[in-house]
Amino acid sequence: MHEQHPRTLPVQYSDIEFENNAQRLPLVLCLDTSSSMNGRPIDTLNEALDSWTHELQHDVGLSYSVEVAVITFGGHGVRAWQGPNPLQPDTRVSPFVPAHAFRAPRFTASGVTLLTEALELAMQIVAARKTELRAAGLQYYRPQICLVTDGLPTDGTGHYTESWRRVVPVLGDEQLARRFRLYAIGVGGITDQGEAVLRELAPKFNARLQGFPFKELLQMMSASASAEQKGAGDEVFEKIFSQFRTQRPAWES
Amino acid sequence: MWRVHGLSVPGYRHRRDGVPCQDAWAHRQSGSAQVLAVADGAGSRPRSDEGARLAVELATEHFSRWTWANAGAPAAARTVRMELQITFRELRAAFLKQVGDTPGDFATTLTVVVLTPEWLGHLSVGDGFVVLRAGTSEEGEPQFHALPRPAAPGEYGNETVFVTSPGAEEWVHTDCVQDRGISGVLLSTDGLAQAALSTRPPGPNTSFVSAVLRSLDEPGPDPVRDTEALTDLLTSDRLTALNADDKTLLRAVRT
Repeated sequence: MHEQHPRTLPVQYSDIEFENNAQRLPLVLCLDTSSSMNGRPIDTLNEALDSWTHELQHDVGLSYSVEVAVITFGGHGVRAWQGPNPLQPDTRVSPFVPAHAFRAPRFTASGVTLLTEALELAMQIVAARKTELRAAGLQYYRPQICLVTDGLPTDGTGHYTESWRRVVPVLGDEQLARRFRLYAIGVGGITDQGEAVLRELAPKFNARLQGFPFKELLQMMSASASAEQKGAGDEVFEKIFSQFRTQRPAWES
Repeated sequence: MWRVHGLSVPGYRHRRDGVPCQDAWAHRQSGSAQVLAVADGAGSRPRSDEGARLAVELATEHFSRWTWANAGAPAAARTVRMELQITFRELRAAFLKQVGDTPGDFATTLTVVVLTPEWLGHLSVGDGFVVLRAGTSEEGEPQFHALPRPAAPGEYGNETVFVTSPGAEEWVHTDCVQDRGISGVLLSTDGLAQAALSTRPPGPNTSFVSAVLRSLDEPGPDPVRDTEALTDLLTSDRLTALNADDKTLLRAVRT
């Protein structure tokens, strides 16, 4: 893994050695890659992820702090990615990659919408990463999970399932305990019913957006990461999210 | 005699967004004692830069008043720690009186060192830290020691206790070091914690602390240039990558 750091120390201090001990900010992108995303939507997602990766790597305040993990739910069921590489199910390898070393996967769209299982995996990898960071003596910020879907949760045969209801109390407890922030975003042609599911999953940070504004969505995640680093209060996150919901890039101001 | 130098620089995002530095430092000599203070205003609070400045001003004022009478004599560690607590309560009361009805807007951490010929007193509320240079190894290398920090109040690295927090007195950490061999002291806010402190094993990052104390041991011919070099270090991408927050370094070396 790439671990080179920017080297811009004045000559008087050029002999200082540093550890790679920046406070970590785990960020999970939990993305719908089911068949309904085929065509332009998945292309847009791939392009946006590429571009965001580039921006993140050039943000010196985030690039050594943010750690990105990707989970997809689609053609291969629920899958975790370590950068561009899909991980085997039940692997003990962590999918988190420091932002400065992250390379975006290239997705294709197919299959069903195992949203519930994807969220369960997201919670599991966040808890495991916290354990690793604590064991390494590293401090961390509150993790962020960003769920993006254009449809309704299904079972393995592609039929709507109510199984998502089983994670609602768990997510409620976890968010109340401030274990992570969950953002649930509906895109494309998501229905009223799909939107209602997202509202239940993430009562505070849910949105239904026109089209596939993945670029803005990922920029919102970066803005939230910066706010987390500054120790911002909940009202700041709510403001950032509210501006995102109305699809105005006002956080840039 | 001690040579003292302090510097606060705004962090990466504050520089980019034109937001003022929310860290502050202050130093005052009080007879044979030095009072050193650093403070870190809460990033999310609107007047925390004023809070940080007020905290270090009050700290140097209150602790100087106390050390004037006590600096020359040996003191039991327990007495020093008790006096630090009492003085903190007084300065906190003065702080809350001055900031008025919305103390949370002025939220700030505070770390103070009282350096006397006989002992060093340390008081901290929040996540500032102190590293001492004292003694040498068998090979004659200087030894560095990080003073214990207050317990963190929560799981996350950006959660801390402020002077204005309810019950702040309960979270105050105090220490007394009775060592006449202290030759260097470094105080900092948490913006430099990753650079100046090591994770494994926990303790000072010797290469960082020795370098920044060395540059005060052996200052160049032009103090402005020395400060510029230190500013360049604190604002470098290398340090920003470790922590994008404001940074403060207050150093004292025995001359």
